[in-house]
This record gives sequence, C-alpha cells and structure tokens, in this order.
Amino acid sequence: MNRVLLVRTWRAQLGKVVLIAVVSSAWGWLMPFFYSQFSGTLRELAKQNPLFGQLSNFGSGSILTLPGTITLGTQHPFAITLVAVFAVGVAGLAIAGERQAGTLEVLLARPIPRRTLFITIWGALLALVALVIAALVVGMVIGVVTQGLLAELDLGQMPFVWLNGLLLWSAFLSFSLAMSATFDRTGPAIGLSLAFLLLNYFLEILGSLWTDAAWTQEYSLFHHFQPSEILSGKADPFDFVLLVVVIAIPLAFALLLFPRRDLAAPA
Amino acid sequence: MEVPATTAPAATEPAIRTQELSKRYGQLQALIDLSIEVRQGEIFGFLGPNGAGKSTLIRTLLGFLHATSGRASVLGLDTELQSVEIRARTGYLPGGVALYGSLTGADVLEYLAELQGGPPVLREELCDRLRLSGADLRRRVRDYSRGMRQKVGVIQALQHDPQLAILDEPTEGLDPLIQHAFYAILDGRRAAGRTIFFSSHVLPEVERVCDRVGIIRAGRLMTLQTVDELLVRRRRRVELRWRGAAPDLTDIPGLGDVVALGDRVTATLLGSVGPFVRAIASPNLEDLTIEPASLEEAFLEYYTDADSSPGGRGA
Repeated sequence: MNRVLLVRTWRAQLGKVVLIAVVSSAWGWLMPFFYSQFSGTLRELAKQNPLFGQLSNFGSGSILTLPGTITLGTQHPFAITLVAVFAVGVAGLAIAGERQAGTLEVLLARPIPRRTLFITIWGALLALVALVIAALVVGMVIGVVTQGLLAELDLGQMPFVWLNGLLLWSAFLSFSLAMSATFDRTGPAIGLSLAFLLLNYFLEILGSLWTDAAWTQEYSLFHHFQPSEILSGKADPFDFVLLVVVIAIPLAFALLLFPRRDLAAPA
Repeated sequence: MEVPATTAPAATEPAIRTQELSKRYGQLQALIDLSIEVRQGEIFGFLGPNGAGKSTLIRTLLGFLHATSGRASVLGLDTELQSVEIRARTGYLPGGVALYGSLTGADVLEYLAELQGGPPVLREELCDRLRLSGADLRRRVRDYSRGMRQKVGVIQALQHDPQLAILDEPTEGLDPLIQHAFYAILDGRRAAGRTIFFSSHVLPEVERVCDRVGIIRAGRLMTLQTVDELLVRRRRRVELRWRGAAPDLTDIPGLGDVVALGDRVTATLLGSVGPFVRAIASPNLEDLTIEPASLEEAFLEYYTDADSSPGGRGA
C-alpha cells in the first residue's frame, strides 16, 4: 500500500462518499419504516391473492417479513446503484481512466510498483464500499429501533449482514478494477464491469420472479448475499467462502497481468 | 522507497546503456537491435520523427514497456528487474504531459513530490526561472494554458534533483523566453553532474544544448556522435564569385554538386572548411559565402539518404 496514493484517492472521493453514505443511511432507515407502516396490509393482500404473494418476493427479499424487507432494501436497484458507484463505477474508471487521460504515466514515473498501485486503489475503494454498506446497515438499525421492531430482529446478526454485503460488493469491485487494469480505454473497462453486475442481477431477479427459472439464481453472486438467512440465524458459510474465492480470482489475474502489461504511449 | 535519490552509480557506469535492444508490437518492429550509451553528466539528444521509436525507447527505459530482446540498464540498474529503483533516481517528462486538472499546480507538484519520496529541493528555483508565480500555482491545472502545463511538467520532472532526467519534447508549448530559461536550467543540471536525456524535433535546440546526439530511424540507430562531429560531416552550401571566369573546382576534395555560371560557382562542401579555403585561395577570388553548418542539414541527410547504413558511424 502506498500511503500518499491512498490518501489522495480518498480525498478525491470525499464529497461523493459523504453524499452516498448519507443517502444510504436514509434508504436503510426507510426499510423498517416501510415494513412497520404497510406490512400488515400487505400480508392481508398476500393471503387474498397468491399472485401478489409471489410478486412480493424480489431477489432473495420479501416485503412480508422484517428480515425479508431488509434484504429487499439491500437488493433494490436503488441500493445497488448507490454501492455500485464505487464498486463498479469508480473502480472501472480508476486505472483505465488515468491511462486514457495520460496521468498514469506521470504516476508510474514515480517509484511505485504497479502491484502496489493496484492494491492501494483496491484497498482505498474497498474502504469506501465498506463505509457505504455500513451506512446502509446503520440506517436500517436506526429504523428498527425507532420503529420499535427490536423484537422481530436479532441486531447481533447485523455485522454479519454487513460482512456478507461487503464480500458481495468486493467481488464486483475486484472484477471492475481488474478490468480497469486490463484495458487502455474506459469504454471496455466500465462496459464489462457493468455487464458483469447486470448479468448477476438479472439472473437473481429472473429466478425470484419466475419459479421455473429459479435455478438461474444459483449462478448469481447476489444469491450468495442472504441477509434474511443471516438474520434468522441460518447463514450458510458457503456463501461467504464462495464470495471470497470470487474476490480472489480477478485480484490474482490483475496482480499477475498488470505488471507485465506494455503501457504504450497514449493515443 | 528505500533507494535514496542521491545515491550515485559508479562514475564509470553509463547513465543509460542498451545492448541490441529490440521491441516488437505484433508485426511492427519499433526498435531494432538498438545499442547506445549515454554518459553520466552529459546532455544527450535523441532525434527522430514521429514513429521512429523515440518514445518506445524512453518507455522501455522506465519499465513501461518490456523489451522483446536485448538488454537495457539505467544508472547501472536493469530496466526489467529494477525499474522501481530506476524511477526513484530519475525524473520523467512525458510528451504532451497530462496532469490532474482538478488539482492546483501547487497540489500537483506536492502530490508528485510525495509519491517520489524525496524532497523537492529544486522546486522553488525552477518556479522562479520558469516564471511560474505563486498565483499561477494556486490555480487549477484545468485552467492552465498549454505552456503553463508544460512548465509544471518540467518542474515535476526536475524538482527532486534526479540523477537522470528523461524529457520527451520538453520545450513543446514554451515561449522563446521560457525556452531559453529552460536551456539555462539544463546547463545548470549538467554543471551539477546530472545527466539529461531528451528527445526533440527542434533541431536548433538540440544543437544549442546537447553534447551528443543519437538519430533514430524506423527503430534503428543511424548515428551517435557529438554535435560537433555531426556538423563537421554535413554538407554546407558554398558560393564563390571570381574576377573573370571561374576556375575548375571539381578536383577539390569534399566539394560536390559544382555548378559554374560565368563568374559564380555554387557547390556543396563536405567536411571542414580549412582545406577547402586553402585550395581555393587566389587573388582572383572576390567573394566567398559558406552557410553555417546546422544540425538540421545533418539530420535530413540521414532521412533523405535511403542507402544510409545503420548501426552508428562513430561515437
């Protein structure tokens, strides 16, 4: 890790991270609020109409239980967008963007090994992603407490929800940063990063809304982020292990490839 | 970084040495068996048009590119195995330097100095000489003119007083006044025992500041000589006017392309002027004009002479 580069990366993202953390907290707070206000009515509707019951499942979440609502809050496109700003957007642009702009040359003219550069940016963005997910989880905890729902939730499991979320998004971060270190232009780097995210999301949502396609969820990384199972004390350690493996693969690829790449003069 | 920027290599060690260095991109051979030595404490000019291989060599020396074959060392350090140590001791100005537009000039210089790891001992002096004021440095780089960005580029490359500065087209965008200040800076660095390697298209500037030059063409080194040696071997245009008919000058060694028109003779002269002047000395010679030698002519010779043999013609 290079301390100067680490601090500079954080400083450059400071405004963005503060804004996204605040919005994430508010979004997290909204989930228990929504559950406390509307869950009774929604449960009645689900009893009367089985189709509504089916559609109340979204991804691995459900609006009919508090753990399910919290899961839904973490898998909603809005929450995905918030975390993806750093895990996919900033990561996909980090190295390829500097390369395209020509500033990577000035940076690599310093005595910084390319592996150190990669690990430093990865570490800096990992911390930002961890912060955003923590803000989301803290917002949810505040919502649970203020809405008087403590009896329905084991708050002691919330750190594991945070860890599971962090591992999921670290996998996307590692993939995106590896793409960023692989391409000279931002287009392919960010395009492939987004495609990987959307494909995983599509497989998860497709399986949750269409029972015949439930098998597709097994191939989605989102399916291994299971707040509802964690909150009900049924966490599967395999989900955690699998995500760690998925984090390691693009990391190993990038750490091997990036130092060996030829960095020709920018066009 | 553990490697101190002031640690000097052995005095006999060349600042840069390449041995049969080749670089291939797919079908394109960017460098072909390039062997050069740049001595410590000299200003070395590297000449060639776009696409000749100048930037490829520079990027290989700094570890941005990996050679296909051959070897290269900088300050006695292997470019493949010790590129981090090399970069700790060098300063680099890329061609058309790009800087962080959202930062101020001062922040860019501070950030890059911190990453370099050594104190920016020359920053203040360089800012003064290149006329970059405190007010200029407080502005964001995105608001800079091209010339101001180039000044910051030059300063970031030299501010830590590197043993070797590698400068790619360093005067691009600088006005003539600042160019002269820049030449004086280079002279000062040379006097302090530092080595400067720079590529340029501006031949008068190379002639003005360089001790030796290397000319590269299509990835091959065409010559590596001192500027004086290059000038001596270039063809100069001479014009003579005689009282009465011009004598036959075709036998004078080094004289070619002789055209006589009445009392006037025009020709080209290869080599030093002394023997030529002695050969034409005559009371009937009324006027003699010899164009000053310029590097441009020598450079063009290497590029217009399709039969030029590669590999260097002296060192």
